[in-house]
Amino acid sequence: MAAPNGTTGNDFTVKAGLAQMLKGGVIMDVVNAEQARIAEEAGAAAVMALERVPADIRVEGGVARMSDPSMIKEIMEAVTIPVMAKARIGHFVECQILEAIGVDYIDESEVLTPADDVYHVTKHGYKVPFVCGCRNLGEALRRISEGAAMIRTKGEAGTGDVVEAVKHMRTVNAQISRARGILLASQDAEPELRAFAREIEAPYELVRQAAELGRLPVVNFAAGGVATPADAALMMQLGCDGVFVGSGIFKSGDAKKRARAIVQAVTHYKDPKVLAEVSQGLGEAMVGINVKQMPEADKLAGRGW
Amino acid sequence: MAITVGVLALQGAFFEHVQLLKKAAEQAQPSEWHFIEVRTPQELATCDGLVLPGGESTTMSLVAARSNLLEPLREFVKVDRKPTWGTCAGLILLAESANKTKKGGQELIGGLDVRVNRNHFGRQTESFQGPLDLPFLGQDAPPFPAVFIRAPIVEKILPHHEGIQAEEIQQEDVVVAPSREARDSVAQAATAEHVEVLATLVGPAAQHATEGRDVNPDQEVGDIVAVRQGNVFGTSFHPELTGDARIHAWWLREVQAAVLRREKLKQ
Repeated sequence: MAAPNGTTGNDFTVKAGLAQMLKGGVIMDVVNAEQARIAEEAGAAAVMALERVPADIRVEGGVARMSDPSMIKEIMEAVTIPVMAKARIGHFVECQILEAIGVDYIDESEVLTPADDVYHVTKHGYKVPFVCGCRNLGEALRRISEGAAMIRTKGEAGTGDVVEAVKHMRTVNAQISRARGILLASQDAEPELRAFAREIEAPYELVRQAAELGRLPVVNFAAGGVATPADAALMMQLGCDGVFVGSGIFKSGDAKKRARAIVQAVTHYKDPKVLAEVSQGLGEAMVGINVKQMPEADKLAGRGW
Repeated sequence: MAITVGVLALQGAFFEHVQLLKKAAEQAQPSEWHFIEVRTPQELATCDGLVLPGGESTTMSLVAARSNLLEPLREFVKVDRKPTWGTCAGLILLAESANKTKKGGQELIGGLDVRVNRNHFGRQTESFQGPLDLPFLGQDAPPFPAVFIRAPIVEKILPHHEGIQAEEIQQEDVVVAPSREARDSVAQAATAEHVEVLATLVGPAAQHATEGRDVNPDQEVGDIVAVRQGNVFGTSFHPELTGDARIHAWWLREVQAAVLRREKLKQ
């Protein structure tokens, strides 16, 4: 995939390249070395190291921050797959610390309490690549223009309700179709594409690139509310490149079995027979919160812009 | 001649390989090429050649085992000796021996008598891109833009012998692929005793030395990043992440030649 504006091609190829290696894979939230080992044995393509999964952050409340570096390092010691970790939106010092520890990817995440209500982190200067959440095309392209090398839907983390992730993916898809439609409709699509870029508040060059490719210019994963193999396959069939599972695994009845089933579902997402097989006898899914009945103030997806 | 090339699509950058194979096919006439994603034994059975893409090798081997694809893959590579190319994670799976695997080890397919060192350069912040001389693309070929992402290297060429790599099993923290015999004289003909080193990377060893890190004297010859043994080819970098289709075109010509040889021997 080509390097977006303002980045040196070399570095960006390497950063976005690791995300390409994670495609068709599942990235699992883990809170300790033991869970990380379970995730690796289940076939996770990477793990996200954090102190509390989103479901617990919701229950316990308070300020959610970057995890203790010693806990992240323990997880890095425990597994050979890539290890990601979360920093608060705008908290560039947490990012510097995570880079110093040597994590493989930083998630500048709305799941943690934002540290800056105006600016996201400027991500170009880091050697470690970043993944960021989005609800629509404009938000995705703004993050990419800041240097993100991978995108995920925001969904609504810690709910086990996939509806928001679906909405965000469908919105991105619809807006890319619209941009592509503009591009293909006329010989000189630039003025109208510029107007569309202004409307979604994204850089014109990246809007044009998405229109030409018919997809985001970087890898795009599903996240926020995936709880079952069917949820994971749904997001893949909607065009996601892979899936993050947060609370959905270790808040369920049989974490090992569910983790393995979701991994199989992401590989065989187009094969309903396999999906039926792996969906059997998984025990209880995480309890879940219906997003429709949630107070607006409890929603995480509104953090960031 | 119609030739079907599969790309193992269990996890990783398989789409990128399919795209670049299609581009390369225009340079590798006159065969009629078909490129397919492989997730089942039935799909594998239709292939004349196979690419194992970059991704996470632990994920791929676990998913392959659970999708009943691990033994068919060993049959394809080691029993039938059909042309196979592994990039990065794919190279690890094609090695007869690998170290620094996850606790409890991982399953390998095998096919190349080498030991690979996983994540040789370190974590993601040590990943890099650089120009690499690839003499097999022609003596005057411009360097290839090689992308190394948490990449393995071939740290040892192993002696070829019948059966399993017995000395390797004695090593600590090393996993070894199970032995499989070539099916018939056709497969035997595609087997080679000798592992050819097709490319080495001299830069990092020299760079590490100037940074005051320990460098083994035998690394000074350079890290081995491309090898071939008979029909099995492995690279520790990712041509599929570039727009440069030269290696893909070269490999398709190799596949074409291998298919022709098979046809001849079968008659």
